[in-house]
Amino acid sequence: MSDAITLNGVTKTFGTKVAVRDLDLVVPTGAIYGFIGPNGAGKTTTIRMIMSILFPDCGQISVLGHESALEAKDRIGYLPEERGLYKKMKVGAFLMYMERLKRDSGTSSRSRVRGWLEKVGLADVENKKCEELSKGMQQKIQFIATVIHEPELLILDEPFSGLDPVNMRLLRDLVLEQGRKGSTVIFSTHVMDQAEQICDHIVMINDGDKVLDDNLDDIRRRFDPRTILFESLEIGADVTPLESLPSVEGITRKGAHHEISLKAGSDPGQAIREIVNAAPASRVELHRPTLEDIFVQIVTEGGTAGVDLDNLRAGLRNDAAAGGAS
Amino acid sequence: MKKVLHVAIREFLSTVLTKGFIIGVLVTPALISFMVIMMPMLMNEEPPRIEGEVAVLDPTGEVVQGLAEYLKPEAIAERRSETQAKAKEVMEQIPGGAANAAMAQPSLDALLGEVPDLDIVRLDSGHDLETEKDRLIGDETGPESRLALITVHQDAVERTEGEEVFGSYDLFVREKLDDRIIDEIRRGMRTTLVDARIRQTDLDRATIEALTHVPRISSTTVTEKGEKETNEVLNMLLPAGFMILLLISVMTGGQYLLTTTVEEKSSRVVEVLLSAVSPMQLMTGKILGQMGVGLVILALYAGMGVAGLISFAMLGLLDLSLLFYLLIFYVIAYFVMASMMAAIGAAVNEMREAQTLMTPVMVTLMIPWMLWLPITRNPNSLFATITSFIPPINTFVMLLRMTSTSPPPMWQVWVTIAIGLLSVWGALWFAAKVFRVGLLMFGKPPNFATLIKWVKMA
Repeated sequence: MSDAITLNGVTKTFGTKVAVRDLDLVVPTGAIYGFIGPNGAGKTTTIRMIMSILFPDCGQISVLGHESALEAKDRIGYLPEERGLYKKMKVGAFLMYMERLKRDSGTSSRSRVRGWLEKVGLADVENKKCEELSKGMQQKIQFIATVIHEPELLILDEPFSGLDPVNMRLLRDLVLEQGRKGSTVIFSTHVMDQAEQICDHIVMINDGDKVLDDNLDDIRRRFDPRTILFESLEIGADVTPLESLPSVEGITRKGAHHEISLKAGSDPGQAIREIVNAAPASRVELHRPTLEDIFVQIVTEGGTAGVDLDNLRAGLRNDAAAGGAS
Repeated sequence: MKKVLHVAIREFLSTVLTKGFIIGVLVTPALISFMVIMMPMLMNEEPPRIEGEVAVLDPTGEVVQGLAEYLKPEAIAERRSETQAKAKEVMEQIPGGAANAAMAQPSLDALLGEVPDLDIVRLDSGHDLETEKDRLIGDETGPESRLALITVHQDAVERTEGEEVFGSYDLFVREKLDDRIIDEIRRGMRTTLVDARIRQTDLDRATIEALTHVPRISSTTVTEKGEKETNEVLNMLLPAGFMILLLISVMTGGQYLLTTTVEEKSSRVVEVLLSAVSPMQLMTGKILGQMGVGLVILALYAGMGVAGLISFAMLGLLDLSLLFYLLIFYVIAYFVMASMMAAIGAAVNEMREAQTLMTPVMVTLMIPWMLWLPITRNPNSLFATITSFIPPINTFVMLLRMTSTSPPPMWQVWVTIAIGLLSVWGALWFAAKVFRVGLLMFGKPPNFATLIKWVKMA
């Protein structure tokens, strides 16, 4: 199977700011790839270069076997971060127009549009003007416009920003459905939870550099869990005996529970057995590192001086701030 | 190409099918027809009859009788009907004027108003000027009210010894007196005084009038097809008509293109579109779509013009091949204009910011207006020839020259077209670059220097 996208040494600068630096990337056909990183990391710039909306200063890009996405536009579904609708156009007419633009045959079908509208629970808006819809509804319409021509490659830039949890779940299922159908999916987000729920492969970008490019399972394995959450059966019980266990490095109190960090190289399974034997527990849980933890770890290990960790973490959770056009 | 067509169709329909467009396009002709039909009716309403006295302080004793004769209601009515007959004659010389004259007939009557009834009163020298003037103040009406006071100078009829010129008279009038009455009084005084002066000499008034009278003659144009009366009005109006037609259609399409581009950008629909079409396809589609809009305007107004000429049986005045050149010039002028509009629209974030960049374009479009008179008067001057080769005004100037009385040689027309096509290519090249870079740029509105930078960048 050939690769859907390959990037080779791609660099893009805006004035003095390097938005993307020497990026190599291979996205195999059928994969679901997540681009993650804080706002302004270079995700949107990378995606725009893949879409041939921007052009790299140097490096090669190949999309679906073509030198430029322009040659394969009809096989790509692209949901940009900066997206809008024709305010005065009717929803049905807009979707049919987008399908006509994107299909090779230049045709569109009312029944297909209706089918999609029903699927996202907006069957009654076909004859409404786009400006009458709420922001969440508009987002769903935009998603339909992205997939209505059944693209082989789906590129979604921050697809979930501004959606409530219910609609986010709906959209996530639709994305996963496209993936199951065999489409290659790339989507970017600055919210790590979303990436963990959808992707099987993660590419992390920070400040224009690719800092991680790996399978989600491999990432979890590589960043092996070394923290155990412990909650004693009796509230306020003494946990000092745990400190003397051979695999325990230290204990920190975090509200009602404690975080027990393990020594490097120790076996988590063995450690849990030791802890349960040493103190009666209501909860003992191996704490899997979240992508957020991993990202923060990479950034700090990378020696980036003066990183404000709290700010960084906030940026990776916070969905409110829309990303700039970087 | 199919995508370009889809974009163009959407652009065209979404513009033409809006209420704003339909109203805008239809309202102008509707308003004009309304004016043509309604104005005479409205003007037909007669003003109230004016009556009152005109007092004359006349130390010479020669004036009052003549003035009273001149201002008799019958005399005024007679003069008015003469003026009307003359006006009608003039109107009939203008093409389509026969119908116009018929239409204008009632309004002319109304304009003259009902004949006033003026009572001329002679005041002897014993009257005090200031007291008499005071009677002009106040708002009484009726035959007793004083409308005007004339004081004739002592030497108005007979020169003082050693003086070159005669004396004349002073005229005092009531506030808000109809200016037509004042005119009547002036003309009456002039006639009366001249009569009185002539009586003092041994000359004959009729002889003098015969000696000084030379009628205004209309010229006759000699052509290969024969002789016809020179139509001065048409000679000026035809080029103006063509130029306005070209300007309006180019402006309409251009303006809409700017608006829709800014709208697409500010509503952020543009990147969604760019996922399906390339910037170049988008721009081409939009330009073509709005060209259709401009063509609708052009066809509509040109059609109305031709229909008007046909209905007055004057189609012969118009060389129909001009319509063909109008179309060519429209396409050239429109593409240059539209390229600029597309570039500006893509560069700015909202309409307000577009105004700054629009100024030079607007100023350029003013130039043809300023050139209208000099070029129609002198269509083959060096100045006219040169300006008809300079884009972007070349098409407008050439159209003015071609519709003028002495059209330029054909080779010049084709040079203009060739230069025009080159300018279209240049404008599109510039616009394509600015368009591509500008579409996704948000933030500070650019100035021209930034636009040039973008062109180099793209």
